[in-house]
Amino acid sequence: MPDHAPARPRVALFVTCLADTIRPRLGFAALQLLEAAGCDVEIPRAQTCCGQPAFNSGDTAGGAALARRVIAAFEGYEYIVTPSGSCAGMIRAHYVEALADDPAWLPRAKALAARTHELLSFLVDIRGWRPEGVALPATATYHDSCSGLRELGILQQPRALLREVEGLQMRPLTGNDVCCGFGGTFCIKYPAIADAIVGEKAAAIEATGADLVLGGDLGCLMNMAGALHRRGSRVRAFHAAEILAGMGGGPAIGEEA
Amino acid sequence: MTARDAILSAIAATLGPRPAASAIDAEAQALLLDLDEVRPALPPGALPDAFAARATSAKVGATLERIGALTELPARVAAYLDSHGLPAALALQQEPPLLALDWSAFTLRDTALPNEAAALGLARHGIAETGSLVFHSGPDTAVLGHFLPLHHIAVLHARDVVAHLEDYAPPPATLPRNLNLITGASGTTDIEGSYVRGAHGPRHLHIVLVGG
Amino acid sequence: MNKLSPVFKDDVKRALGDATLKLAIDRTTVTAEAKRAAALADYPQFAAARRRGTAIKEHVVENLGHYLEQFERNAVASGAVVHWAADAEDACQIVIRLCRAAGATHATRSKSMLGEEIGLPHALEAAGIERVETDLAEHIIQLAGETPSHIIWPALHKTREQVSALFKQHHADPHQTEDVGAMVESARRQLRTRFLTAEVGISGANFLLADSGAVCTVTNEGNAELTTTPPRVHIVTAGIEKLVPSLPHAWTLLRLLVRSATGADLTQYTTFHTGPKRQGDRDGPQEFHIVLVDNGRTRMLRDGLREMLRCIRCGACMNHCVVFRQIGGHAYGATYPGPMGAVLTPALEGIEKARDLPHACTLNGRCQEVCPVSIPLPTLLRGWRDKGWREGLVPQTVRSSLWAWRFLAERPALYRMGTAIAVRAMRLFRRGGWIGRMPLAGSWTRYRDLPAPPGQTFMQQLGDRNAPK
Repeated sequence: MPDHAPARPRVALFVTCLADTIRPRLGFAALQLLEAAGCDVEIPRAQTCCGQPAFNSGDTAGGAALARRVIAAFEGYEYIVTPSGSCAGMIRAHYVEALADDPAWLPRAKALAARTHELLSFLVDIRGWRPEGVALPATATYHDSCSGLRELGILQQPRALLREVEGLQMRPLTGNDVCCGFGGTFCIKYPAIADAIVGEKAAAIEATGADLVLGGDLGCLMNMAGALHRRGSRVRAFHAAEILAGMGGGPAIGEEA
Repeated sequence: MTARDAILSAIAATLGPRPAASAIDAEAQALLLDLDEVRPALPPGALPDAFAARATSAKVGATLERIGALTELPARVAAYLDSHGLPAALALQQEPPLLALDWSAFTLRDTALPNEAAALGLARHGIAETGSLVFHSGPDTAVLGHFLPLHHIAVLHARDVVAHLEDYAPPPATLPRNLNLITGASGTTDIEGSYVRGAHGPRHLHIVLVGG
Repeated sequence: MNKLSPVFKDDVKRALGDATLKLAIDRTTVTAEAKRAAALADYPQFAAARRRGTAIKEHVVENLGHYLEQFERNAVASGAVVHWAADAEDACQIVIRLCRAAGATHATRSKSMLGEEIGLPHALEAAGIERVETDLAEHIIQLAGETPSHIIWPALHKTREQVSALFKQHHADPHQTEDVGAMVESARRQLRTRFLTAEVGISGANFLLADSGAVCTVTNEGNAELTTTPPRVHIVTAGIEKLVPSLPHAWTLLRLLVRSATGADLTQYTTFHTGPKRQGDRDGPQEFHIVLVDNGRTRMLRDGLREMLRCIRCGACMNHCVVFRQIGGHAYGATYPGPMGAVLTPALEGIEKARDLPHACTLNGRCQEVCPVSIPLPTLLRGWRDKGWREGLVPQTVRSSLWAWRFLAERPALYRMGTAIAVRAMRLFRRGGWIGRMPLAGSWTRYRDLPAPPGQTFMQQLGDRNAPK
């Protein structure tokens, strides 16, 4: 464990609106992993949305309003951890943009940004943690979500963690760093283009021959899983955190009946 | 207000008062320091060898032969033309060292025709980093002599090869009307990405490297 | 939710349905991506060169007035005539005036995206001056009566069969066999006399060198030199942002430009033009005119788009863009396609007209990553989205949805209740674990399935666990 990591840090979990509504088990997986990594986890009940939909639609004021709420709800903790590269990126990279003209909140945004982490990178880089005793005999391929990759530099950490899962064989995905076409509101505004993009992603996933596609962002995973299923693929999708938490034997995305 | 005034005043309105020209120049010069951090390293060995390797690499695609002395040039050129089924006819750039050679076996022109088969000129420098040839327009050198012929034959002295692009650094006031840096033969991939040589310029670049 | 401007929506639909176009786009962009990657693998100093190139361009933009004046001074001293054009119309009028003064019946042109931007092809035609495009791709699209679909490979969308038909129709001595080599030779024959008989040659500029007044052109074909050497008059059209301080600065940028565009170290022909023909020169133009064009660049400087002025027109951003790779260049409906086009077009034509382009982007950031001068394209695109929002250009359905979402998100108790109800309601539409069709989710479910949520949200299931102390 890195020297600077406190003994039992007080971590606030930002579960994300997608996990809260569509995939609650991801929230529980994150909670379990953080506790296993020696954190005292609290889940502020005032949390709702990070503000990215408004911000990325050009409604900077709307994004700023939600940013203030997140800052207020979370700034009392040592770390804020979220199982999403896109939400973590929003807080780390874009809150300061949204609040650039707000001298009262800008310093608070900067402070929060410095303490906000995506889950998988937090486990590896801050806690130096690896899973133990987790097994899943399966083949899997990994999609690197754009925000996590480019805004936060998340690439090695998920692989370092998944390597420790007994029996799990990772297969490289051609174009692992190519956008899946979700892009938040993009796939709603331009569904035909998004479909063309995810079609190529689905083909690349299937070409690996892997049983599973894994990733660190629910938006991407829902997009890819939804496309794969519509195309009749047998590839199943999980968030990497769920595999690490031993939930790989449970229902994949779209299998919660 | 002229367009010039409008443009410059719009710029000034945004950027504010200018620093002293000397300060601006100093900042520009600072951006030319530590060039080895920003440019490719050359393979070890003599510069002419590095130049030859680069120029004949697949990326550049020139052909190259080496001769000991300039006097051997006409015979080598005759052989080159013959190997391509061409007669011993040539548009010869009017550089004095070339004019002094024995071209008695050739039909010469001093200006390239529109559909010239072959033209020959003397390059001022070679750049080892890129396998490029440097030509200056002038009384002895017509620009079109590098562009009209199907076969462009370039003569280069090994001693005139420099390592990097920055090593060929003519002072700004000495630039010719046309400074041509030529790196291989003309080519295009404009039709279905298919690579074809000789789009408008020469299809073949043949370099004769003298000495070294 | 799907209220795009009709033109863009139609153009996108057409492009997505065009399988031949997709083949052409893939062939071009996948090759370009591979070549760039190979070039970078051979150039470990690339990252440092990129930082340096970015710094050079930033320095120039920060001192643009200084460098423009220095360039003008030195260009004039070398015998060039420097003209300034505030906008596209000005620029075209200057070029037409110069052509008329030269008695030009036809003018050859080497590739200039700036020329496209200002509408020079149309202006020349309207003035009755025959325009002869010499860049092979520009020649092809001129024969086809089309516009470029990519800034480096303008004719990527044409098949060889289409090119063959065009050449057979328009060339005096066309190819006899259906191979690309023969077609290129046909173009070479066709354009040779045009090069040599034009009264005027018009080129663009890749760089303007302030300390010498030199203009740099880069081509792989050699058509820039054939365009600008034989005629009596050489006219350069160049954006004011093309300046660099000196030749050594240009070398740094050329190392970045060519690798980013085609993967080569240098283009075959890199030429620096300084003034007109000199006493004793064996060839060259008698007159050398440089038209410096603003056309919105000073506005970009003023309005928070300064970084965009660094662009060296390499095309890497569009080659790596997942959206460009599906819709191609023409769907962007303007001179410049892809990510750089999505930033420039609102600047050149107004956000009202180009309102869709900044939104037709996933903000994935690959463009910024491959940009050799580190332009923060996603940030600039989001900036346009912000401007579009403030100017009321976002459709009411989107505004309403985002307002409703914000209303809920600012009220946690209401949000909890609303989401709890929503997940139960969504489950009514599920079959197994998936939703194939659902009201309000048409955009999603038309193309893909939606995972059905379980009956309770995370927050509901959490109960009192891990509550804040």
